[in-house]
Amino acid sequence: MDATERLSEVLREVLDRSHLWQPVELATSVAMAASRAGLRTTIYQVDHEQRSLRALPQQGQPTPEPVPVNGSIGGLAFGSVGSRLAGGDGEAYRWWVPMIDGTDRLGVVEFTLPDDVDANDPGLRQGCERLAGLVGHLIATSSSRGDHLHQMRRSRPMSVASELLWQLLPPLTSSGAQIVVSAVLEPCYEVGGDGFDYSLDGPRASLVVLDAVGKGLKAGLACAVTLAAIRATRRAGHGLSAQARAADAALVEQFTDARFTTGVLAELDLDNGLVRYVNAGHPAPLVLRGGKAVRELSAGRRPPLGIADPTVEIGEERLEPNDRLLFYTDGITEARAANGELFGVSRLADMVEQNAAEGLPTPESVRRLSHAVAAYQDGPYTDDATLMLVEWSAGAAQATVPGGYHPTETSGPQPTGKDQATG
Amino acid sequence: MTQEILTVSSEVIPPATAVVTAVGELDHGSRDRLAQATSAALESDQIRLVLDLAGVSFCDSGGLSLFVDLHRATRARGGWLRLAGARWSVRRVLEATNLDRVLALYESPAAAIADGP
Repeated sequence: MDATERLSEVLREVLDRSHLWQPVELATSVAMAASRAGLRTTIYQVDHEQRSLRALPQQGQPTPEPVPVNGSIGGLAFGSVGSRLAGGDGEAYRWWVPMIDGTDRLGVVEFTLPDDVDANDPGLRQGCERLAGLVGHLIATSSSRGDHLHQMRRSRPMSVASELLWQLLPPLTSSGAQIVVSAVLEPCYEVGGDGFDYSLDGPRASLVVLDAVGKGLKAGLACAVTLAAIRATRRAGHGLSAQARAADAALVEQFTDARFTTGVLAELDLDNGLVRYVNAGHPAPLVLRGGKAVRELSAGRRPPLGIADPTVEIGEERLEPNDRLLFYTDGITEARAANGELFGVSRLADMVEQNAAEGLPTPESVRRLSHAVAAYQDGPYTDDATLMLVEWSAGAAQATVPGGYHPTETSGPQPTGKDQATG
Repeated sequence: MTQEILTVSSEVIPPATAVVTAVGELDHGSRDRLAQATSAALESDQIRLVLDLAGVSFCDSGGLSLFVDLHRATRARGGWLRLAGARWSVRRVLEATNLDRVLALYESPAAAIADGP
């Protein structure tokens, strides 16, 4: 059997084992299966703040220290959503492979190769990518069976509001053939009232960003009620106005004080680029095109959700192919530097376009934006700060898939130094 | 401590109007001081409330949610809430959240009262 066939056997064995494994057994089970192909595996989950890759413990093995995303080879694989080869010069070769669920970046898997295989065999690398992808899926589905995988990706405990909200939110990143949606929400261990949602349904992408008034659990509950009302109404087949009205009704019914949520509810038609939206007292999302912010979604205005306004009209905007749509909450633009200056909209738009010019995958762009805001402001977050970047682009979608840039690749990278890259 | 950043005073205009004047910063920490004054007015059947905001330099969502509370509470009693003299910084927050569509804004307390019952 060659490497590719042996890896197929490993895939089968991992799937077979996954039915009965507990989350604590996942990493050891994968390692045992991979050993049949002579591979050693270490599974790293990214922490919520997306700053470190944290190894899952394996039975009978020392657990490696967390690896920083910035400045490590594993972090490069994670950031670029592309596999990276390390080792050589007497060290064992190791492929660092992105671990995704769909296109949601969960971490990386480090594969240490046996001496007798060609590290640059593209079949081997693709097999490793496939295995890491399967492990990503299985981490996503196994997480809810126990606390272990949740615990392992936290750098510290979560607030009650954060625990509640993260259960409600969709994956940070999802892609379809023509679209990528990627979000980030800080401070991730102490979320207040921010939230986001999306739904990719054929030609229609539904996009929601929310910011409930207040702090902590009080705001978290309002956000949860708003989000659930919008989803339930959307899933019952109703449009934007009905979704907003359902949120109004749920908030008024549930809370005696004036608990309101600002937000934008939008639908993007992937066939023709038409965006229809309602802006409930929220910062207007930006349309970014050819290196600059060309428009704001500033129509469709109504008061915050929770304060009914029957007169509202739906706003409309037409996107061009490869446009970006950026949703954000005021915690981003109102982040304040030590000298009092605000982060602001233009700085935000400039950074998105710089990241795009660098060819960064969408989720990496929003990760860096979020960290830029954190670095800019003086001290810890005083408000929630959420970003959701939507790219209407087949190329952007491809960039969220490992090896996505190399559909017709016939040969792997040449081993000229210690570290090689694809993707 | 944060309550010291907001001072509040009230003036009753018989039969049913109160002008409540706030000076300072209105946020989640300080809003309770204003809420106490407006609750006292509502309990004494002053169901027409004018909030004089000319001295308010900063207002966040804590202040906005109090405005919405008072808007509802006065309407439920057959009265109204009118915001008077809001500075640019406060108007900007009301406009950004589209609450200027719901809350009535006036140049001054006198203009708010003069607009009739």
